[in-house]
Amino acid sequence: MISTLASSEPRQAETPPSLIDVRGLCVNYGPVRAVDGIDFTIGAGEILGLAGESGCGKSTVANALMQILRPPAQITGGEILFRGEELTHLGKEQLRRFRWRNVSMVFQSAMNALNPVMRVGDQFVDMMRAHERISKRGALARAGELFDVVGIDARRVRAYPHELSGGMRQRVVIAMALALNPELLIMDEPTTALDVVVQREILQQVRELQQQLGFAVLFITHDLSLLLEFAHRIAIMYAGEIVEEAPAAAFQTSALHPYSIGLMRSFPPLTGPLEHMTGIPGSPPDLASPPEGCRFNPRCSFCTPDDSDLYRLQTTVRPRLHEVTPAHFVACHLVEAGKR
Amino acid sequence: MTAALEVRGLSKHFPADRRLRGRSYVHAADDVSFSLRPGTITALVGESGSGKSTVARLIARLYDPTSGQVLYAGHDVSSERGRRAVRRYRSDVQMIFQDPFGSLNPVKTVRHHIARPLQIHGVVPRGQVEARVHELLDTVGLVPPERIAKKYPHELSGGQRQRVSIARALAVEPAVVVADEPISMLDVSIRIGILNLMRELKEARGLAFLYVTHDLASARYIADDVLVMYAGQIVERGQAEEVLQSPLHPYTRLLLSAVPDPARGEGDLLQVSKGHSAAAVDPVDACRFVGRCPLAIAACSRSAPELVEVSPGRAARCHVTAPSTALREDVHEQPVR
Amino acid sequence: MSQLQTPVDLPYGGVPLATSSKRRALPGWLSILLHNRKAMIGLLLVGGMIVVALIAPLISVSNPTDFNILATRQAPSWHHLFGTTDQGSDIFSQTVLGARRSLILGFSAAILATTLATVFGIVGAYAGGWVDEVVNFTINIFLVIPTIPLLVVLSGYIKSRGMTTMIFVLGLTLWAFEARILRGQALTLRNRDFVHAAKVAGESTTRIVFGEIVPNMISRIAAAFVLVFYIALLVDAGLEFLGLGDTVHVSWGMTLYWAQTNSAVLQGEWWAFVFPGGFLVLTVLGLVFLLAGIDEVSNPRLRGRQ
Repeated sequence: MISTLASSEPRQAETPPSLIDVRGLCVNYGPVRAVDGIDFTIGAGEILGLAGESGCGKSTVANALMQILRPPAQITGGEILFRGEELTHLGKEQLRRFRWRNVSMVFQSAMNALNPVMRVGDQFVDMMRAHERISKRGALARAGELFDVVGIDARRVRAYPHELSGGMRQRVVIAMALALNPELLIMDEPTTALDVVVQREILQQVRELQQQLGFAVLFITHDLSLLLEFAHRIAIMYAGEIVEEAPAAAFQTSALHPYSIGLMRSFPPLTGPLEHMTGIPGSPPDLASPPEGCRFNPRCSFCTPDDSDLYRLQTTVRPRLHEVTPAHFVACHLVEAGKR
Repeated sequence: MTAALEVRGLSKHFPADRRLRGRSYVHAADDVSFSLRPGTITALVGESGSGKSTVARLIARLYDPTSGQVLYAGHDVSSERGRRAVRRYRSDVQMIFQDPFGSLNPVKTVRHHIARPLQIHGVVPRGQVEARVHELLDTVGLVPPERIAKKYPHELSGGQRQRVSIARALAVEPAVVVADEPISMLDVSIRIGILNLMRELKEARGLAFLYVTHDLASARYIADDVLVMYAGQIVERGQAEEVLQSPLHPYTRLLLSAVPDPARGEGDLLQVSKGHSAAAVDPVDACRFVGRCPLAIAACSRSAPELVEVSPGRAARCHVTAPSTALREDVHEQPVR
Repeated sequence: MSQLQTPVDLPYGGVPLATSSKRRALPGWLSILLHNRKAMIGLLLVGGMIVVALIAPLISVSNPTDFNILATRQAPSWHHLFGTTDQGSDIFSQTVLGARRSLILGFSAAILATTLATVFGIVGAYAGGWVDEVVNFTINIFLVIPTIPLLVVLSGYIKSRGMTTMIFVLGLTLWAFEARILRGQALTLRNRDFVHAAKVAGESTTRIVFGEIVPNMISRIAAAFVLVFYIALLVDAGLEFLGLGDTVHVSWGMTLYWAQTNSAVLQGEWWAFVFPGGFLVLTVLGLVFLLAGIDEVSNPRLRGRQ
């Protein structure tokens, strides 16, 4: 489900609204703009991967979606629509019901956020009873069911967090996030602290669940290689903006934005020829004073004074996302000028 | 080529439960032996609980081994306690840590971090310390060095901090550098830069690197040799390309299938029983991987396999893929699962 | 625009400008302190108190311990700037002369207690093992023993009531609380990688403790100092109550004690406690503001500009 990206163009009237429709979202931390006008959509049952490095704003986007931003962070522009309804207009009570029931989240290092002095089953019960009228027994039964579904022995509901391994704790947290059958699951770096084997197990499990239960996923990570295997579509964020968005398969073969290409080239291959790699020189800009024009231009190997017209564009005008091939969006002057 | 550093039978056991004094032990490292040759990068690969960080710290003499030897320049340094002997060792064997922020003192300048080793070991006369600090910063790509030297850690990015750590390690002109997961906490696009730097240094200075990591792909990228650890033991070793393209030990195969490899396309994890790689507590005489191994045979639960050399430099610890002569006949048994 | 090697990008391409050599440069920490507004206020307040204590004999008009039944409970007036006590003693004299004893007592007890807390805390944390067990045990003993009975016992054995004795008594009763906190902080620092890195670089234990760990603890140590200072002054009043105090000399604590005993609050004699109390509060406030400056000096992350 692709909606048009410039808010001035009319939405297609026949298609039902996407699950999530973000338009021109801006989030500030005080005077610093951490998220600067991004647009994306998530359709029902779709897995959207949001990739970027530290400081690009991806976690901020997740927090904005859940409406859990705290001062000095605040949404300063744009809209977030859930099934057509503007989230910032929801009242406190509606928001409370929205969270966890419609959209739930697995936070970064959530497995370390479990209460160390309560059994995991009891924490589950607490969570369920905060959202639904359900008896303790009923909640525990549901916990057992969900544990089973995520691949933990149901008897472990009686365990304390420290008795479980990192991978199991993460599964507990995922089970809790799925308890109320949300339509969208946001996962913020869910496997970063885990070993590669456990990571693979968990992601496979989530994908199976997703196919069974049909929820959508917003998967946020700095590890692009995970998304290539796991997500349906991928959006790359840099310095508070989305620079490229395309189906995962398209990334593999034809990433267009120089930053995306650089990122793809930062993963040494396990098979195939071994060549010298360069990564991306420099580091992300200070968002308090980002570069003029395209924010990637100081690090972009295609930004040179040689082509003076292009150069002027690159250093003064911020590129906008536009559709290059169906469903493949890039924000790059070079691409727009057809020179790639 | 003579080894720069050799470990033999290195073991480190930690008491598992403080209250039950002396009864239960975690075998963080068990009978680990390998050598590091000058001008090579040896990758020590494993997950958390495998013992790789323990081995790194044993070599850096942050702990003392429970048993075994660390041989440097021919003699066993793990038994040497004298201040001068330890200092001599530290001027030859250095370490780079995983956390780019935690490994630098937040209230000290970059200059302090690099000057201290120079001063402690008298690498250059006092008047030349400043110049040498700038030289080292230059070597690791932090320019302009005069400006960077005055900065505090929080004013640098993660990649820059790791470069400072590398410069600090290089200050004493070591022969061996142990790098404990130096890139795992860095942004993806910065990692390659640090790996390239390590490779350059190895080539330019003939250093012996021990690159401890859980990331097989980066190990492939820079390592000459690979050691795979599981539950405190070395389970496979050999040249990097051989081990990673034709792994012998089932755990190595499991690791390889788990790493996301964009080039390979979608793949499923090898089917293994669920479990996690944790350090063995009071291990019994059996293969430590038997609970998760798809190739397990009866012998695997009955006796612990030895590290068997299947060809020069290539070894694995597995009754099935690298049986010792005594067990060759058991290989034809039906697998247990 | 070419690729940058690092984000450090000098506009004029290289060498930083040399600083003017005309004036002798102030040591870095002093110039930071002088530029910090809070620290300057703190410095003025504490400095002011010290000046008052120094010139006290010059400005106090009467003997602070003189009783004058004709002038009891007088509100502030030109004759008695801060009013008089129930016994007719001039509160102004008591306050300015009391500053001496209070400041000396407070600072000395704070120095003693903080030193003990720092040494015990850091040694225990760094050494670990049985040394730490002993340190922990000692700290717990001092924490568990109630202060008042401890004071009673100590004063039973110590016959003199002089300033030195008081300082020791206060220092010994107040160090344990901070020791536990400083030990906690030292423990977290001790396990940080930069301490391991210093060890691997070949630093000696002494240099690691004083050169790497302590500089990270300066803020907390300074805060401990201020806390002990404040408590010492109040406990001084308590000692008086137990008859352990030194009735001959005056201090803020003593004046406050007498104000309380004579129910100054109920009687509406606000001058009896507002002035000595106010001086005490101002001094502690000054120290607290100074702490802000110390924080900035010791922690580069808090510095406003380069």
